[in-house]
Amino acid sequence: MRRFVRDANPLVLLAIGTLAIVASLAVRDLQTACLALGAYAVAGVVLLPSPRFALARFGAIAVASVSLVWSTWWLGGRDLEVALTAGLRIVVLALPGAVLAAYVDPSKLADQLGQRLRLPARPVVAFAAAMQRFGALRETWGQLDRTRRARGFGPTRSPLSRVRHAVSLAFALLVSALRDATRMSVAMDARGFASAQRRTWAEPAPWSRADSALLALGVALAAVPWLVR
Amino acid sequence: MADAIRPRTSSTRYRTIDLVTVAMLGVAIGVVFWGWNQLFAVVSGTALFAYPPSSGLISGVWLIGGVIGGLVVRRPGAAVGTEVVAAVVSGLLGNQWGMSVLVSGLIQGLGVELVFALFLYRRWGVVVAAAGGALAGAFEAVYEWYAYYADWAFGYQLVYLVFLAVSGALVAGVGGWLLVRALAKTGALDAFGAGREHHDRAAASSTSPSPRA
Repeated sequence: MRRFVRDANPLVLLAIGTLAIVASLAVRDLQTACLALGAYAVAGVVLLPSPRFALARFGAIAVASVSLVWSTWWLGGRDLEVALTAGLRIVVLALPGAVLAAYVDPSKLADQLGQRLRLPARPVVAFAAAMQRFGALRETWGQLDRTRRARGFGPTRSPLSRVRHAVSLAFALLVSALRDATRMSVAMDARGFASAQRRTWAEPAPWSRADSALLALGVALAAVPWLVR
Repeated sequence: MADAIRPRTSSTRYRTIDLVTVAMLGVAIGVVFWGWNQLFAVVSGTALFAYPPSSGLISGVWLIGGVIGGLVVRRPGAAVGTEVVAAVVSGLLGNQWGMSVLVSGLIQGLGVELVFALFLYRRWGVVVAAAGGALAGAFEAVYEWYAYYADWAFGYQLVYLVFLAVSGALVAGVGGWLLVRALAKTGALDAFGAGREHHDRAAASSTSPSPRA
């Protein structure tokens, strides 16, 4: 059971996360909120490879949820039930997508976007190429950080100095990313990327029966609050 | 090979460098968004408890992708594309809003895009950039009325919209425009309109008699 999500089609994972937004729009009272959230929780406990990871993501969302309960209570007529509902609604909206995002592989996603959804090939490949440079970006960040420190431009302990340090690193990273883009596009065009008539893909983009089942489950979960309200 | 750096012949056909730049800018800005998401949880916590709608004032940071993408690549769709890629990256890295960031990214990108389109993709000044940021902020605020702040009294929702639009105009619009100028100075935008304009300005100011000479 637990490998379903790990092997799942990234399109299905994104769809389930997006359907959760639709589900959240039907949450208008506490009972619906609890039922909707309960349905997602049961599905998560049964299917997720690591429920503990989902709990960690829930922690991040809980912070946003608590502040929303507070602001809705204050600005929405000081009604506790309305406020709690709003707080739970954002958990329904965010939690499924936030958890499932961790199982999306960018290369597989690009394969699916290009071959299954048949989006225009050039933008999709550019997206895949940029996602592949993601690791390189992180490496560059580390190099820039060490270089600045070695030259005596490192931050002091004050938060302001740290922010300034981070901003200058972010700017340098942006410059590096743009130079990377120039280099990469020259290399891509040298291999005929711009003028190709017929394109092939290195990897297939399969759609399995398990993907259909997961998608159906996602639709059913999103339908819960619409049916019970 | 020359295709990559040839000056543009058409204003709608994307060169390879345009596509890759939109994607790379999106990825880099998405990482920045992700960092800002972490910081926002702390900063907005304080802002929300003091006066909830004021969190709109610091939300302009998330609108900067569309402005930068549009100002650099200057083609239809570049603003939306950059903002959506940035939203996807910040979503995949994990955040507190789940897939709602994809919707936000699309809506914010469309706000900026609409303003650039209104000027027929010919004006790239600071006023247009600020207007783009403001409209993106207004669009995002309306989405958040439904997704997050559905039960706030309407007056507060309006205040939130105004705050987010102002923040979009200043942080994303003016800030993004300044950032693109700074990037042009490094030579990283030499294949784009913004880079060429920088060199034109530099050439004009070096040939005109300077007071010190």
